[in-house]
Amino acid sequence: MRTIWRITKLLGDYKWLTVAGFVLAFAQMGLSLVVPRIIQLTIDRALIGGESGLLRWYGLALAGVGVARFGIAVARRLTTGKASLGIEYDLRNRLWARLLRQPFAFFDHWPTGQLMSRAMSDISNVRMFLGYGIVFFAVNIVMMVAVAVILLATDWRLALVSLAFLPALLVVTWRFSRRLQPILKDVQQRIADVTAAAEENIVGTRIVRIFAREDDELAKFSERSTRVFEASVAAARTRALYIPLIAFVPNLAIALLLWYGGRQVIQGDITLGELVAFYTYLMMLVFPAQVIGWLTGLAQRAIASGDRIYELLDAPLEMEERADAAPLPQADGAVAFEGVSFSYVDRPVLDDVHLEVPAGRTVALVGHTGCGKTTLANLVPRFYDVSGGRVLVDGHDVRDLKLDDLRRHIGVVTQDPFLFSASIAENIRAGRPEASDEEVRAAAAAAQADEFVTALPEGYETVVGERGFTLSGGQRQRLAIARALVMDPRILILDDATSSVDVETEFRIREALVEVMKGRTTFIIAHRPSTISLAEEVVVLDHGRIVERGAHDELMAAGGTYAQMFGDAEAQHCDLDAVPVEKPAAAGGPA
Amino acid sequence: MATASRNVGPHGRGATVEELRGWRAFLHLARELRLARLARFAYPYRRRALLSVVAMVVVVLTSLSVPYLVKVGIDRGIDAGDLRVLDLVIVAFIAVSAVNLGASYVQTYLTSWVGEHVVLDLRRTLFAHIQKLSLDFFSRQKTGWIVSRLTNDIDALSQLVTEGVTSLVTNSLTFIGAIVFLFILDWHLALATLSIMPLVIGATLVFRTRSARAYALVRERIANVSAHLQESISGVRVLKAFRREDADRAALDRANAAYRDVNMRTVVQSGLYFPFVELMSAAGVVIVLWYGGSLVSDQALKIGVLVAFIGYLASFFDPLQQLSQLYNTFQASMAAVQKIFAVLDTEPDMLDAPGAVPLPDVAGELELRDVTFGYEATTPVLHEVSFTVPAGRTVALVGATGAGKSTLVKLLARFYDPQQGAVLIDGHDLRDVTARSLREQLAVVPQEAFLFSGSVLDNIRFARPSADAEDVKRVARIVGAHDFVTALPDGYETEVQEGGGGLSTGQRQLISFARALLADPRVLILDEATSSVDAESERRIERAMDVLFSGRTSVIVAHRLSTVRYADEILVVDDGRIVERGTHDELFATGGRYAELYREWEATGRAL
Repeated sequence: MRTIWRITKLLGDYKWLTVAGFVLAFAQMGLSLVVPRIIQLTIDRALIGGESGLLRWYGLALAGVGVARFGIAVARRLTTGKASLGIEYDLRNRLWARLLRQPFAFFDHWPTGQLMSRAMSDISNVRMFLGYGIVFFAVNIVMMVAVAVILLATDWRLALVSLAFLPALLVVTWRFSRRLQPILKDVQQRIADVTAAAEENIVGTRIVRIFAREDDELAKFSERSTRVFEASVAAARTRALYIPLIAFVPNLAIALLLWYGGRQVIQGDITLGELVAFYTYLMMLVFPAQVIGWLTGLAQRAIASGDRIYELLDAPLEMEERADAAPLPQADGAVAFEGVSFSYVDRPVLDDVHLEVPAGRTVALVGHTGCGKTTLANLVPRFYDVSGGRVLVDGHDVRDLKLDDLRRHIGVVTQDPFLFSASIAENIRAGRPEASDEEVRAAAAAAQADEFVTALPEGYETVVGERGFTLSGGQRQRLAIARALVMDPRILILDDATSSVDVETEFRIREALVEVMKGRTTFIIAHRPSTISLAEEVVVLDHGRIVERGAHDELMAAGGTYAQMFGDAEAQHCDLDAVPVEKPAAAGGPA
Repeated sequence: MATASRNVGPHGRGATVEELRGWRAFLHLARELRLARLARFAYPYRRRALLSVVAMVVVVLTSLSVPYLVKVGIDRGIDAGDLRVLDLVIVAFIAVSAVNLGASYVQTYLTSWVGEHVVLDLRRTLFAHIQKLSLDFFSRQKTGWIVSRLTNDIDALSQLVTEGVTSLVTNSLTFIGAIVFLFILDWHLALATLSIMPLVIGATLVFRTRSARAYALVRERIANVSAHLQESISGVRVLKAFRREDADRAALDRANAAYRDVNMRTVVQSGLYFPFVELMSAAGVVIVLWYGGSLVSDQALKIGVLVAFIGYLASFFDPLQQLSQLYNTFQASMAAVQKIFAVLDTEPDMLDAPGAVPLPDVAGELELRDVTFGYEATTPVLHEVSFTVPAGRTVALVGATGAGKSTLVKLLARFYDPQQGAVLIDGHDLRDVTARSLREQLAVVPQEAFLFSGSVLDNIRFARPSADAEDVKRVARIVGAHDFVTALPDGYETEVQEGGGGLSTGQRQLISFARALLADPRVLILDEATSSVDAESERRIERAMDVLFSGRTSVIVAHRLSTVRYADEILVVDDGRIVERGTHDELFATGGRYAELYREWEATGRAL
């Protein structure tokens, strides 16, 4: 109930259009109610009564009603259409604006598909209901009441006889919608299963071929498709049973009307015109009664959709900027972690970490998968907030700074370098929209990307990303580095920036990194000794704690965790890649 | 053209050139529409389809007879004061309604039954066809695109074959039938009433084309909104990291507003069209009452006819509106059908050659003989490559990115056929043996260890579904996967998500090895994973390689030069040619390309 009220309140922004829509819809309905009366008069007075001179006037009256209805109907459709499209537009913008204010943790929790279906189909369900459902619902109810009153006023016996079908019809339509809904839901679910099977088969097509398992796959897909078929046929059977029945029930009423009313006309109790008008009114009752079940379904869907939309809109913003947040126009880039702890959904990830990194220093964060190194770096640009302790940039608690100012000084290259479906130039410029073409090129050159970019057919204008040109992992990584560089940040975070590239490319990226790290505070989350070697200091994390720190040589000599991790590799002389890695799939999630 | 086509048979015997052209043009049109091809899918169900069409005709006729019965009831029953006729009419009316009820049931059910069967068959056919397409197809098309053919397009088609066909047939029949009844009742009044038809049909035609265009735009723009959101949600971390929230909000606003505006156009179009049809319907009533009324006054017409006329008016305005709506569904479905058939028309280029024989049990000797190959015929990636791997040997392919290592693997596994030369196993050209028999003796472990959703057990057993749990555990133990699998919450029954989420890269790799070992192929091709795994898994994987390679011919694409020590021989690939071959020591001593690669690679490590 609360949801339906909240949805309805959305109409408030289009108060006048909504009011106008209702007024017009009722006016249209009122005019419709006049028509059978004119027909009745025509039959009784002009035709049977023989006053044929009246024909012209009744004809003109009908024409007048027709023209007026046309004008009103056009206006009604335009007003409600405009209001509902406006609501859909506002709601979608509002939802996305709200989502954009949510922290990373929110997006770790919500799958993309869920957010998408709420922003797309749920919003359009609400639009359908508000733009169409509410007005129709109101008009149909009023119409049914009005027609019933008119019929009772004309001849209550005839009315009672012919209205007897109405409850039966309402029960049938209501049962129809109640029986069909779960089947349709089932169909949707089974289609989703088919989609999942198809998707998996296509992604894993090589494996299927390698082991010649095409027949099994076809059998699996066939089985799921057959389940869709069965549910669809079940839905068809329900429709086949109810839809003709919904048309049949009113016919019984007509038969009754003709039987009883016909006798009355013959006996002279009512006129033929009255009978015809009665018949016409009865027909006007059938449609609202038939669609009311459908409208109820529409309302139910809209409420369910509304609940899902408000679930997102109502989700608390856990990481809002403080009202008195301080600006940070300039930064040196000194970073300090003071007793930092962090838990991710009750799972402790970091535990009492103390680390001071002077401005301009390069630090490598090293450790096994899940040791917390990515999480530690993510705390600096406030992708997540600490559970305990504090993170300081130039001596300011990051939570006291304006988020925009803080992030302006921090360049991030994530594990999975995400590029948008836009030109390469625009992707690089994401770091600083006002950057000139020269600056973009310079950043690309520093990231060792200029060469391959200019070799592309459209150079910097080549559209990349999901809907564009496919780049290799190494190429995307270099563009991600360029994107971070164009910001000219004081602090640079490089998360596993050289995984999944071949040796030659890694070599080039590393050369690029040496250049770009100069004069910036840099955190490198690394897995390869070659990358770690770029850092002045190595910080070794284990189970959320710093267990060792120092220069590479010192740590090797100390013979601790670090030496164990890399000693093996040294001994085997070839095993240079034998270093732990984070799961490369999730971009920037907590480790 | 229609007359011409009626006179000639499909073979055009005895037809003039002119007529033939007309016939061909017709055929061409039919081909364009793909209707014949679609109809072929309905052919197995022709009896029920025919029955459902008969049912449709019955439904339409019974519906159309109602106003006529009303007319008889009024004129001969009520007006004539004859209760017997009135009661007969009512009985007839109930009977007709009952027949209508029964026929509607049969019609609705059968149409859906046939339609859903067609959809099911088409979906299976499409899926089976996709299983045969070359891997080229999969690298050219994005996953989402292919999935969309199997789901969205098929569903769009399902709408057409179930609701669309019914709507087309019943509405056309109703429209024509209503006109016929009008003429039977009174042709003067019929002509007068139908005088508004040109206006209605004209408006319908204009509306149909305009709204089809507008709806196409609406679909396109809502797809833009959806694509934008999808991408922004996937990349939200980057958006936030680079403070692009405001810019992105503005971009969504633009896409959203563009969608709203074009959708408003459809509101305006239907906001004018549908009320206009209602207006014309009112005009029809005015004509019937005014002109028809004057005929009644002149005793030329009975009142019952007038009432029946008003009843029939609805019977031809409703179908017109429905048909104009149908045009949109039809267009959308036809676009879907075309895309589906485009996939079905993609030739599976790796089909078994006619006369291909099953590969007999082989020892596993591999040979490439003067192989030239390019993904596009004009730009070869491999140039006249020849080499032999004796049965039971392990060979490592080494080279820079883009040298052609992966392409060699694809040819050996017969994912592609060479443009020149031949790939042979024990002297059998791969093109002369059936794909299935080849795969039973040759397995590839790809770089990316892909796991299907399902249990770990199912994933290993994928290679040989007949294997029992003990076999699976045995191979898991051999490759060193047993320990971590038993440590999982449900052991071998643990469900893994699609793509292997939840397991580390190294663990996925080991499961993928176990899978290959279970297949126990004579020839194993391993494309080593490039992405690094943790030290522990790394060691396990290398140990497992040793087991995997023993007792079979193995080809390994070595990205990490550390693994070359498992090979008996190293082949150095450079620019699509084998430039060197030999053992590590030999090659290193020669000081050629291998030595160069090795030094480069070592430098990377020594940079410590």
